Amino acid sequence: MSSAEPISLYVHIPFCETKCPYCDFNTYAAIEPLMPTYVAALKSEIALWGSLLDGPEVHTVFFGGGTPSYLPSEDIRHTMKAITTAFNLAPCAEVTLEANPGDFTADKLAAYLDCGINRLSIGIQSFDDDLLQTLGRRHNAADAVHAYRQAADAGFENISIDLMYGLPYQNIQQWQSTLAQALELAPPHISMYCLTLEGGTPMERWVDQGSMPTPDADLAADMYLMAQDEMRHGRYRHYEISNWAQPGRRSQHNLTYWRNDPYLGVGPGAHSYLGDCRFSAIKSPREYIRRMQSVSPDSCGEPMRAMISSVPVVDEIEQIDTPLEMAETMMMGLRLDEGIGIAGFKERFGEPPSHFYADTLDELERLELLHTQEDALRLTHRGRMLGNEVFSRFFN
Amino acid sequence: MEIERERGITIKSQAISLPHDHHGTRYLLNLIDTPGHVDFTYEVSRVISACEGALLLVDATQGVEAQTLANYFLALEHDLEVIPVINKIDLPAADIDRTRSQIERDLGLDAEEAVLVSAKTGQGIDRLLEAIVTRIPAPDGDPEAPLQALVFDSAYDPYRGVVVHVRVVAGRIVPDARIRFWAGDDATYRVEELGLFGIKPQPTAALNAGEVGYLVAGIRSVGQARVGNTITEAERPCAAPLHGFREAKPVVFAAIYPLDADQYDELAAGLARLQLNDSTLSFTKESSVALGFGFRCGFLGLLHLEVVQERLEREFGLGVVLTAPSVEYRIRLQDGSEFSVHTPGEYPDPGTIEQVQEPYVRASIITPSEYQSLNYLDETRMELRFDLPLAEIVTDFYDRLKSVTRGYASFDYEVADYRDTDIVRLDLLLNGQPVDALAQLVYRGSAVRRAREVCRKLRDQIPRHQFKIPIQGAIGGQIIARETINAYRKDVTAKLYGGDITRKRKLLEKQKAGKKRMKAVGAVEIPKEAFVAVLRGADA
Repeated sequence: MSSAEPISLYVHIPFCETKCPYCDFNTYAAIEPLMPTYVAALKSEIALWGSLLDGPEVHTVFFGGGTPSYLPSEDIRHTMKAITTAFNLAPCAEVTLEANPGDFTADKLAAYLDCGINRLSIGIQSFDDDLLQTLGRRHNAADAVHAYRQAADAGFENISIDLMYGLPYQNIQQWQSTLAQALELAPPHISMYCLTLEGGTPMERWVDQGSMPTPDADLAADMYLMAQDEMRHGRYRHYEISNWAQPGRRSQHNLTYWRNDPYLGVGPGAHSYLGDCRFSAIKSPREYIRRMQSVSPDSCGEPMRAMISSVPVVDEIEQIDTPLEMAETMMMGLRLDEGIGIAGFKERFGEPPSHFYADTLDELERLELLHTQEDALRLTHRGRMLGNEVFSRFFN
Repeated sequence: MEIERERGITIKSQAISLPHDHHGTRYLLNLIDTPGHVDFTYEVSRVISACEGALLLVDATQGVEAQTLANYFLALEHDLEVIPVINKIDLPAADIDRTRSQIERDLGLDAEEAVLVSAKTGQGIDRLLEAIVTRIPAPDGDPEAPLQALVFDSAYDPYRGVVVHVRVVAGRIVPDARIRFWAGDDATYRVEELGLFGIKPQPTAALNAGEVGYLVAGIRSVGQARVGNTITEAERPCAAPLHGFREAKPVVFAAIYPLDADQYDELAAGLARLQLNDSTLSFTKESSVALGFGFRCGFLGLLHLEVVQERLEREFGLGVVLTAPSVEYRIRLQDGSEFSVHTPGEYPDPGTIEQVQEPYVRASIITPSEYQSLNYLDETRMELRFDLPLAEIVTDFYDRLKSVTRGYASFDYEVADYRDTDIVRLDLLLNGQPVDALAQLVYRGSAVRRAREVCRKLRDQIPRHQFKIPIQGAIGGQIIARETINAYRKDVTAKLYGGDITRKRKLLEKQKAGKKRMKAVGAVEIPKEAFVAVLRGADA
């Protein structure tokens, strides 16, 4: 990777009003008093990276968390200012902010647009009120639709919504109804995620104790297939295993991940991939703030790893050697409908995939999980369903 | 041993020489503690033949049990003076009167002679020692006669070689004496060490007729110094060996395989080490299409098998898989040839078989009366005596008996004779392929039921795969039971959050590692627990 290559920027906002019982992300409820010092630390970190990386070009920005829309819009504005100062933000860069229905006011939305946010990702999850309650969300279906319309009215053209399936108590009819309502709303981009019970979450505990039924894996499979079928009725391209987009509306930021391209994450617990290193920041917001407060940058032109370690909030660093980089490229890229482009792979690694993975690719073809075409390797329909079976074979 | 402490049983004998003063005279009491479990009857009988008397311990809370009777008869056979001892009288559940009346009725002994003790509190021990001195005859061997010593146990010491536990019946053993064994090869050994069993081993200048002790003589393998063998002097041998020397016969057979094929050598070494101290354990090499290379082993019983398995896992850190325990079947083919079969793999084509016979045992169960209605011993218990196939016992019979009678039944058996039987080989097919390690020999009449049980258990134990897995039980090519494990249809991590690709990757790596803990049979991954679950008997 050359230093001239544009990177993506991820900004982590670890605040939520309440924490959803299935969530295991690095986010916290009831630490609102930390917001001011957090924003200050965030701005410092952004400035530090800008100087260390010498103002690289940034082609996408993504505010995630937590609930970025929970932060005062002024703080978002300040952060954007820090970003444009420290980095070279591309003129048509995609800048996304994740938002909760119910956080929207006309003023807030206007402020976002004004400071450069041009894409909104709304965590709708479901259009069924009962299921929303089960998920512990604080909005209902009507709030969700209202929020969407507000965003559209405010002037946002690029809106994405998140939906979840494979939920406890969810039946196929509820899912079908949610899909129908989503299609009626016709947002430019839809992400659909199957619920995963993560260790340590309240929901996992409930299911373990038997007070909540275990989600049915076969039903989840049916729901996914239903989604695939229904989405054909809209103008959507199923461009990634869990994502659908209207023409020109694929998530550029997430494509960076799936194409295994470089990105920088700022904020507590954020992940990055620069040069040949994957690294992540300290998770605790308090510790993050404390460390940023004690900084004085002084490095230039050092090897990637040494330079990264000089940033005090950096917690874990992993150096990615070429075989691992290759395997991760396969793991991520096959998720896209464009698959792994053979020419692009050859340019990046010197040889086409068949040079390194001849036996694996033959096996996957034989199992009908993968197709090799002239220009690219792609998952088959079955391969998409059994993705983990495919991806794991590229690792030792 | 730790296993003994955990299970509350004695597996190995322990001997001790106890000096005791009685009315001014110094006595030396040689005591040997023996295993009570039915699997180790052989060991008990050898020890008894080294003694003049026996303390028959009866638990005051349990009363006379089946093994009590069995061991009592053994003592009588050897003309031992038997002193009944009622133990654990300190416990609240002790019922001394009932125990006394059982002793009279079941053993035919005078209950007045029973000594009441509590080993825990020490109550009654003095009276017991007095009873030993006054009632049990002193040994009457001539120390000047040719040496005749009975081996009643041996142990392997990595530095000194085999330590032989002996009872000198006639003559004496001194250091530097040259000795040999009656059974085995003609090798001569020089006595290097000689001692008595105190709390610690006590070296001594001589072991005279009537005494019990140990000797070390540069013997390399316990196979030389087997229990029941007779030791005599090389230059001045005795006229005849003591009693008959009987090989302990294994009655239960199972194959042991390493869970991880790379540990084959360690398994071989572990079995060899166990055999050093347990000459009743026998094993030969075996192989299985499903499990690779392993060993077919012979055991004295199911407890013996379990102890060996546990010791392999615990003392040598080996994960092992066992195939079905089986007995030895005797087969006569139509062409007249006869042979024995221990494993399903050896079972011949049914079309060629003229006759099959299996070992039967004579069993006795003593159980509280609420659980049966035959043959009362007293108003609260009765004894059941019957013959049953050994094959029934090796599949969990003892455990099920205990669980059905809530632990109060006691059970004893001895191998009796061979009788005609009708067995078939139940084959197990996974994904259309027979898995030799899961095959079993079963009674024709219960074959269908057993086949269904096994298929069901496998269905519950084997995880879902990418493809559907049919599980089939078959006899002679005919499918008699079937279950199916459906393929999983979706296995892909959904949300990628905030660029944390490392986590995604680690999840995949973990999934991959999980597969390594299973045994792959063809394309199907089988967890070790599946083998174990399937090969135990039907659920109680």
